Amino acid sequence: MMRTNGAALSPQEARTERRGTRAAYAAAIATFVLLAIFVVARQTRAFNIEALLPYRDDILKGFGRTIWVSLVSLIGSTSLGFFFYLLSASRVRYFRAFTDVFTEIIYGTPLLVMIMIMAFVIGPAFGSTNRALMGYVGLIVYITPYMTNIFKSAIASIGAEQYMAMDLFGFTPYQRYRYIIIPQIVRILMPPLMNNFSLIIKGSALLNVLSYRELFYEITLMTNNNFRFVEGFLLMWGLYLLITIPLSQVTKWIDRRWGI
Amino acid sequence: MKIELNELTHRYDVDVLRDLTITIEGYKSIAIIGVSGSGKSTLLRILSGLEQPTQGRVRVNNHDVTAPEYRNSVGFVFQSHNLFPHLTLLENITIVLEKTRGYSKKDAHEQAQRFLSLLHLGDQTHKLPRNVSGGQAQRASIARALSVDPEVIFLDEPTSSLDPVLTYDVLNAIKELRELGMEFVLVSHVMSFVHDFADYVVFMKDGEIAEHGPPSILEDPQTESLQDFMAKVP
Repeated sequence: MMRTNGAALSPQEARTERRGTRAAYAAAIATFVLLAIFVVARQTRAFNIEALLPYRDDILKGFGRTIWVSLVSLIGSTSLGFFFYLLSASRVRYFRAFTDVFTEIIYGTPLLVMIMIMAFVIGPAFGSTNRALMGYVGLIVYITPYMTNIFKSAIASIGAEQYMAMDLFGFTPYQRYRYIIIPQIVRILMPPLMNNFSLIIKGSALLNVLSYRELFYEITLMTNNNFRFVEGFLLMWGLYLLITIPLSQVTKWIDRRWGI
Repeated sequence: MKIELNELTHRYDVDVLRDLTITIEGYKSIAIIGVSGSGKSTLLRILSGLEQPTQGRVRVNNHDVTAPEYRNSVGFVFQSHNLFPHLTLLENITIVLEKTRGYSKKDAHEQAQRFLSLLHLGDQTHKLPRNVSGGQAQRASIARALSVDPEVIFLDEPTSSLDPVLTYDVLNAIKELRELGMEFVLVSHVMSFVHDFADYVVFMKDGEIAEHGPPSILEDPQTESLQDFMAKVP
């Protein structure tokens, strides 16, 4: 058989290859588990996860709010990001310049600073002292240029020759979008969109500075009461990873399955 | 096939094609050759209706190439396969037949299967373009061009992005199609192929047709510029 597609492996070789990869991953995960056990064992106080039980409901609510604020921010920044993409592709020079300047400002701003400015400076200027709301807005505004960027690169990835082919076969404008352009864009868009979602989830922890009762806030509050810092922070870490790692695995799966 | 150019001029910033007037009639496979920038690809795109000439009249088989419906009656094969990357080889054809030619799902499927088999891709139909070789993708794009039942098929350097083995593959497939009676206009750099495939050769230089005639002109060029060209190409 001709090997035209890179270095194709025989089924036997491929199986050995896969087994080796799986073993390597198992070893790597074990390394980190051992590290965690070591860290816990080194603590001077006895590790007592049951001490967290009375706070279970608050923690779960915080976990729920983290997911909620992240979803709202995802939808908000995707919509706003698409709108900004349209502006950046506009024929009006001012709109293009506007999105460029906006992007530069956001790229240069730490998320924590963005959230503070939004809650304590910009919000009040527009008559809002609702800090939670301004926290949402800050997160959305912060992620927007990243979203604009992924729209830009996804749409740019459909080359001029494809449009020529569509011309040649006589696809109507509706058919072009429905069957050729949008299906491709969605596939190209999904992985970076998921990565940005992960960015939002991690960023949402900063909303605790506005006393927004998300996961970080709830657990910090608990540790201030019961002094169970080790158990609390490890649980917090675990809960973030519980969302972000499956998310990144799904992203990789989508890319393998649907990538073009 | 009959090609008529009447005072054809085309310009982007400078003249790419200069005042071409010629009638070629009675040939089934015409090759356009020349160095890069000689205007050969532009001429091909104008003949296929992909690009509108700046000036002059162009007719292919008595059709005005600027008529909007003309484009839908030709097949065009691009330098790189230019398949839609999110669709399988089969779907690349069925989508065209179903959406733009009004075929039923079943007929489109049968037609697509038939042309892919003709190009020896019968067992690759459900693969995405990225999962087949460059030569297979290019053959699938030829199958797609054929599937709309074009009067003439235009090929723009169909093998320029392929290695020698895959080039041989694709050129062989094109030869087989000629045996089936299909008509071609092609731009190619592979002189050995042009020589035994084409029954008429047009040599272009600086936007003009410098020499034209049967493939024997490649062995016995009359103009200095074609002599020069033939001395330089392998």
